[in-house]
Amino acid sequence: MKDSEKEAKSVAVSFDGHVFSLMAVKKAAYRYIDSFSADISIKDEEIRCVLNFTSPRSDESCARLVDDFKKEVLDQELREKLKAETEPVRNLILAHAFSKTGIVSNEPVSGD
Amino acid sequence: MLKLHGNLPVLNSSTRDSYLVTVTTNANLPPVLKRNRALLLQPNQDPKGYKVILAKELEGKVFDADSDVFQVSDDYDYLIEGDIIRLDPSSGSFNSLYRRNSPHNTILLTEQCNHYCLMCSQPPKDVDDSWLLQEAFELISLIPTDTEALGFSGGEPTLYGDRLIDLLHHTKRSLPNTAIDILSNGRAFKELEFAKKYAAVEHPDMLIGIPIYSDDPVRHDYVVQSRGAFDDTIKGVLNLKKVKQKVEIRIVIHKQTIDRLVKTCEFIARNLLFVDHVALMGLEITGFTRPNLDVLWIDPYEYKDILSEAVAVLNGYGMNASVYNHQLCTVNPDVIGNYRKSISDWKNEYLDECISCTKSGDCGGLFSSAKMYKHSKYIKAFT
Amino acid sequence: MSQFQAIEFYKTPQPSYRLLPFRFTTLDQDQYVLTNMAGEYLVSARDKLSDLLQHKLSNNDPTYIELRARHFLIDDNSSIAPELLSIKLRTRYDRLAEFTGLHIFVVTLRCEHSCPYCQVSRQSEDKLRYDMSSEIATGAIDLAFRSPSPNIKIEFQGGEPLLNFDLIKFIVLEAKKKNQQRGKNLAFVIATNLALVNDDILKFCRDHSILISTSLDGPKDLHNANRPRPGGNSYEKTVEGVNLVRQMLGRDQVSALMTTTEASLNRVKEIIDEYLAQDFNGIFLRPLSPYGFAIKTKSYRAYNAKRWLDFYKEGLEYIIELNRQNINFMEYYAATVLKKMLTSEDPGYVDLMSPSGIGIGAVVYNYDGSVYASDESRMLAEMGEEKFKLGKVLENSYEQIFTSPNLLDPLEESFAYSAPMCNDCAFEPYCGADPVFHYALYKDYVGRKPESEFCSRNMETFRFLIRKMEGDRFVRQLFTKWANS
Repeated sequence: MKDSEKEAKSVAVSFDGHVFSLMAVKKAAYRYIDSFSADISIKDEEIRCVLNFTSPRSDESCARLVDDFKKEVLDQELREKLKAETEPVRNLILAHAFSKTGIVSNEPVSGD
Repeated sequence: MLKLHGNLPVLNSSTRDSYLVTVTTNANLPPVLKRNRALLLQPNQDPKGYKVILAKELEGKVFDADSDVFQVSDDYDYLIEGDIIRLDPSSGSFNSLYRRNSPHNTILLTEQCNHYCLMCSQPPKDVDDSWLLQEAFELISLIPTDTEALGFSGGEPTLYGDRLIDLLHHTKRSLPNTAIDILSNGRAFKELEFAKKYAAVEHPDMLIGIPIYSDDPVRHDYVVQSRGAFDDTIKGVLNLKKVKQKVEIRIVIHKQTIDRLVKTCEFIARNLLFVDHVALMGLEITGFTRPNLDVLWIDPYEYKDILSEAVAVLNGYGMNASVYNHQLCTVNPDVIGNYRKSISDWKNEYLDECISCTKSGDCGGLFSSAKMYKHSKYIKAFT
Repeated sequence: MSQFQAIEFYKTPQPSYRLLPFRFTTLDQDQYVLTNMAGEYLVSARDKLSDLLQHKLSNNDPTYIELRARHFLIDDNSSIAPELLSIKLRTRYDRLAEFTGLHIFVVTLRCEHSCPYCQVSRQSEDKLRYDMSSEIATGAIDLAFRSPSPNIKIEFQGGEPLLNFDLIKFIVLEAKKKNQQRGKNLAFVIATNLALVNDDILKFCRDHSILISTSLDGPKDLHNANRPRPGGNSYEKTVEGVNLVRQMLGRDQVSALMTTTEASLNRVKEIIDEYLAQDFNGIFLRPLSPYGFAIKTKSYRAYNAKRWLDFYKEGLEYIIELNRQNINFMEYYAATVLKKMLTSEDPGYVDLMSPSGIGIGAVVYNYDGSVYASDESRMLAEMGEEKFKLGKVLENSYEQIFTSPNLLDPLEESFAYSAPMCNDCAFEPYCGADPVFHYALYKDYVGRKPESEFCSRNMETFRFLIRKMEGDRFVRQLFTKWANS
């Protein structure tokens, strides 16, 4: 059985705009620019992507990449939530790490 | 095991309150010194003029009416010139507080504690025993200045707050050449002010030994039976380091700490790399350990590979680490570089099995408590 | 005893945890690598990660306990993590303030070899034209001592630096004289092919504790093919030189570096065996340099990233097996990465620093007085691109050189944390910004990471090292030792 013919393909994928943010989709698409370029648009609260594979691939290879892309969109969504949630404590930790004074309270410590 | 505490028959007494006194074997001291010495009476010695006489038997010797005379058995043959003891003439109670030929003496400052460790070797008593602190001031004044090392323990010595700091200042003045170490849970040092007061002693050689039993705060809190202990202790260690004090981390190895022992050492290496020493200690079968034995006991021979891995982590990160209270036949050869024969010298014994052992000279043996109650079933002589 | 509480007493009843900042990237099909703010990693299954992020993870779950102990979350039982993370972060970045530690002096461009991959060397007898002058050398020494770093390492390169040994002597003596007032830890290294070494040179090196760094590409045929010289005996000269150095200076006073070329890729074990035979303590399996012919033929890039990875993995596996048989032999590239993974120290390796190590970690004073931000920057200039030239000794001040836009712009723009994709990447703490590489290949300081060989090679290396450590206690202990060396 032959492999399915390899040619430059395009695949359409869409994401529910209530569940996924545009930023997550764009960031995920960025990670795959060595494999496909993405035309992204929004219509009726749906984020639509057309993935244009840059070099000829078999159907299975495309399907795998599309799957990975979808997982990546989900990961990016989770990353955004994580970032938003931890932003305050991140700033606190950074401020303490680079302050000239003592770590906990703001009193100067002898010898510093 | 040396008999450091006991009750002696009182053959004569003129005072009622307890006191500290230095032991001597010299029957020819100048009279002014005789007045504050306890003479270990030998045959042919004249006991007149001594404040205290410790005698196996008196054979019709004449002593002063205002001397306190106690009868001692062979159990007290370990006493030598320069030892310091506490005697209570009304009850005959005897306590050895300082031994001249011990490499390391420890002074008990209190039995009060804010922890309740599952394996505590000095179970806490909620009684006002601040007289121990008072006595410590006097004891330190009596201790000879060529003493190399001295320890303070409890209970939790920092419960005395500023008075502990006073004691440390006093120790530095009275014994300027003596290295001191303090055992503490470190929680009081979470207040930076207290850490600064401690640092202000400016002692040339002072170390504080602080237990951290797990990298898991819940497990640590459980072992010491106090919520919030882990965070406070870490904070205390960080503050002590901020004021540039020497800190040792101690881990007692038993069934509740063995599972995360390697991870705990990794935690120390990643977060507390700046501590001066890490002590990995075998379980002492005394105090609370005995009632909690089912929850605590694991045969060291069975965890020897974990111990090796933990030591390898600490060594790998260039930390100073020591293994205490284990027998050589229960550890792997790869920890020998970190193995220390003994922390204390007065409670070390050997089994019959050990008589023929070629390495008994290098081995710390067992605590008397282990010999009596529980020890590894894999003790075997090296040939 | 009834007065002791069970462990449950010390847990809060409901899992009400707060997440700490961390990043995650796939390790393989089902597992992720998580890294906390201090760059400490933890491997987690996808479903646990998902639960964690949705606040569904139970505090009885062993993963929960790990995450709390390793500073990925805090709860009512313990909130000391942020403070510990601050300290670890601070330690990691401490080294930045020390600024430039490595000062490379290209004392001559002349060389008697003619290695095909070498960007900079040419054969010439025109000493005046291709040798550094003592005036420039003095100016460069002044610049080097302007660095706040307590440790200054002066490395002599070329061409073949021994062709201008008189200047090396001059620089060593001048620097030491200047250091009498400054009290820095001063170290010297000569990077030489050793073909021209003699007793006088060695005596001087011994008297001034100068280390020798030479090149050894592998067994004789490989090395000589890479490094043609009149007589075709580069290998023999190198081995002879190494032995001479050891006799006069000491066994560990000479180290060797290899250049990985196309011809090396199938022969890693032989190369390692050669290093063992020459009694070296380890080897630096360096990534393929993208300069020279690799740049000219970009298609070469993708093909060779994978081949280099195969080469590297095979070499590292072999070295691990040697260690299992009690042969102490280290792989220095892994050790560099592992220091970043397993400690809070920074190894100061220019190619794996963010902000980039150009200027901050190292600086190059060329024979003609040009100052470059790094060795690769100089190579790029030799190929016609002077983007990373910072100024000229004797013409520009220290301030002008180190605040040159040619340094500040790439530092700022390539900062990995701010770069797309690097920003989310769990491996960012281990990686670096390499603006010179990216500019050479893609004409911008950042490049597009999905297309970047630097990125794909690094990510795969990090994954490989982590996979080797997970579940193999011996490797973990070995790697811990390497990380702390």
